[in-house]
Amino acid sequence: MKKIILTVLILIITTFYSNISFADQNKNIDHITKNLRCLICQGQSVYDSQSDFALSMKKLIHIKIKEGNTEDEIYKFLKEKYGEWIVYEPEVNKNTIFLWGLPLILFIFGGLLIIRKVTIK
Amino acid sequence: MINQIGAYSLYICLFVSVYLILKSYISSKNFDKKIDQTFFATLSVQLLMTILSFFTLVFAFVFSDFSNITVFNNSHTLKPLFYKISGTWGNHEGSLLLWLLVLTFFLFIFFVTSKKMNVRYRILTILFQEIIILGFLLFILFTSNPFLNIFPIPDEGLGLNPILQDPALAIHPPLLYVGYVGTSIIFSASLAALITKTVDNVWASHIKNWILISWIFLSVGILLGSIWAYYELGWGGFWFWDPVENVSLMPWFCLTALLHSIIVLKNRNVFHSWTVILSITTFSLSMSGTFLVRSGILNSIHTFANDPSRGVFILTFLLFLVLLAVFIFFFNQKNFPDTYQRSFLVSRETSILINNWFMMFFLSVVLVGTAYPIFLEVINDAKISVGPPFYHKLIVPFLIPFLFFMALGPNIKWIKDKIKKLNISQIIFLILSFVISFFIVLNTNTNYLFSTLLFTFSFYLFFNVINSFQKKNSNLSQKVSHLGFSIFMLSILFNGILSKENSANMKVGDEINFLNKKLIFENVKVESDSNFKKLVGEFKLNDNGKIIHFKPEIRVYSQPETITSEADISSTLFSDNFLVFSLIKNDGFFNVRYQHKPLMIWIWISVLLMSLGGVFSFFKLNEK
Repeated sequence: MKKIILTVLILIITTFYSNISFADQNKNIDHITKNLRCLICQGQSVYDSQSDFALSMKKLIHIKIKEGNTEDEIYKFLKEKYGEWIVYEPEVNKNTIFLWGLPLILFIFGGLLIIRKVTIK
Repeated sequence: MINQIGAYSLYICLFVSVYLILKSYISSKNFDKKIDQTFFATLSVQLLMTILSFFTLVFAFVFSDFSNITVFNNSHTLKPLFYKISGTWGNHEGSLLLWLLVLTFFLFIFFVTSKKMNVRYRILTILFQEIIILGFLLFILFTSNPFLNIFPIPDEGLGLNPILQDPALAIHPPLLYVGYVGTSIIFSASLAALITKTVDNVWASHIKNWILISWIFLSVGILLGSIWAYYELGWGGFWFWDPVENVSLMPWFCLTALLHSIIVLKNRNVFHSWTVILSITTFSLSMSGTFLVRSGILNSIHTFANDPSRGVFILTFLLFLVLLAVFIFFFNQKNFPDTYQRSFLVSRETSILINNWFMMFFLSVVLVGTAYPIFLEVINDAKISVGPPFYHKLIVPFLIPFLFFMALGPNIKWIKDKIKKLNISQIIFLILSFVISFFIVLNTNTNYLFSTLLFTFSFYLFFNVINSFQKKNSNLSQKVSHLGFSIFMLSILFNGILSKENSANMKVGDEINFLNKKLIFENVKVESDSNFKKLVGEFKLNDNGKIIHFKPEIRVYSQPETITSEADISSTLFSDNFLVFSLIKNDGFFNVRYQHKPLMIWIWISVLLMSLGGVFSFFKLNEK
């Protein structure tokens, strides 16, 4: 029973993430600009902002897409130019391993506590 | 003159607070059977003084008394009366005074409604609550005194941040504060109950009301903030995972977990230490919320007023309270019943544990996502942004099992239940949900297995809740709240996959076609209101023969100089049509953004339903 649940869970999670990466390839300019921080605004995305920075950014991304760059290439380009700060989704690296990992570790830990609670004699 | 009244009444409060701390500490050592009547008297004095002080400030705002620096900084004679009043808490100093008012008011209510409880428990609750009150009083008087004089008296004030001049945002902070401050009573009371060995089912049913009050106010407070962001910030979303939004969501997750675990404590007299831990955590999160918002270390659209020295004070005070709580918790471990009881896998207890498990996970995602960038910058000097994609990736997949357990949990009996082999109705629900979801997702060209699963389990929960309404055994408040949550999930999902939007630069007379719709920019007019000038755009949308007129505004406030965009939204039960326009540098052109948002109104209604469940529970409508 447990094995079945586990398999199903893993299946769901993997399909979800593979779906996301698949979908990434055909996202348009709106999707990309929503994931970018407007650097001169207070907590607004490039998409939502009408500032000069955001407008020139939108033009730039438009050109980049036309040149045939993929979403990831555009992010990479922008990160090199403006720093990690500009993207709303931090990549997994040594700086952010705990950002992504800590909640998941806590989740597993919590699950173990519950298993202990229901199996203890 | 009026400033003196306000300030002196705060000093009286301070003395009363010190007196009450000493008094309650000494009384808690003597095991009197009866409670000293001076408690009632002194608490009344303290409450009256806080009320006096608060209304002095309200009075100064209403009559634009610019000899008061807070009024000078945050008000203006031309402001409508309503915003003069709400301006009282629309700033740092005033909002702290409001915190204090709710703190003392709640303590007073606690005192008069807890007469049946253990005397020592009541006294200790007063002790802890007074420590919090004292901290806030010191904070107010020495770093953020709202009653400072300004001389010579200016003729005119600087005005209130126009973005705050809005009905929803005028009442949003007080509601949120009631929620936050309510958790202080839960904190003080659980520490007191721990010391007096009274963490049990009697205490649980007593403190449950306070949890409900905090939870209801926090929920409605968050809702109002979200509605405000929807129409005022002009982005058309309802949740941006902005740090300031997140800090209000964190205590909400914790409080929701507590609300569930307290039911177990009440009915089964188990989960003692876990409930106390949740109580302490909830309050710490409410406090750190205030700290994060007030200190200005968050990069957020919401940071209106900030000052680092104040942040340091709150942080120190918060650390002190948390350490005190942890200290008390560990030194009173022996006061918990020492049996570590087993729960059965299929039981209501375990299903509520599972709820708590997920709540803690969601909380940890939001907490890590909000706090991590701050720490990373301090430690590593690396600046990262944690935005919506992060939260969606971590939270959304976990909603599937969460919804599944939520659908099953309330059907399971306490202590031990059996899984009936092949429960026909459950299987029918599941298949039905899957088929409906499959066709919904199919028709929207978002053929992700994942969306189908999310829809399936949301429908599954929905059907289960609807089904539970015809059973008599379970309680009404739970059903209403869970119904609210299932509608919430469904409306978010529909909204997510069916929303359409179009953004274009237009000038008067322009006409654009998109998605079988035609949008005409008919006119733009300049009008003036009492304290701002506005550009009113006139748009006509032809949606397959259905005509909708929009009149969005761009407001130009002069005191202080600010431009805001007011969206025009036409709401129906089925969908919202949202139109906002803003200035761009290109002469004569405006950026016009149209959005079609299905079932938007149901997001608000569903949250109200959830809160309504809480109200039912508070008024004991479950017990016949």
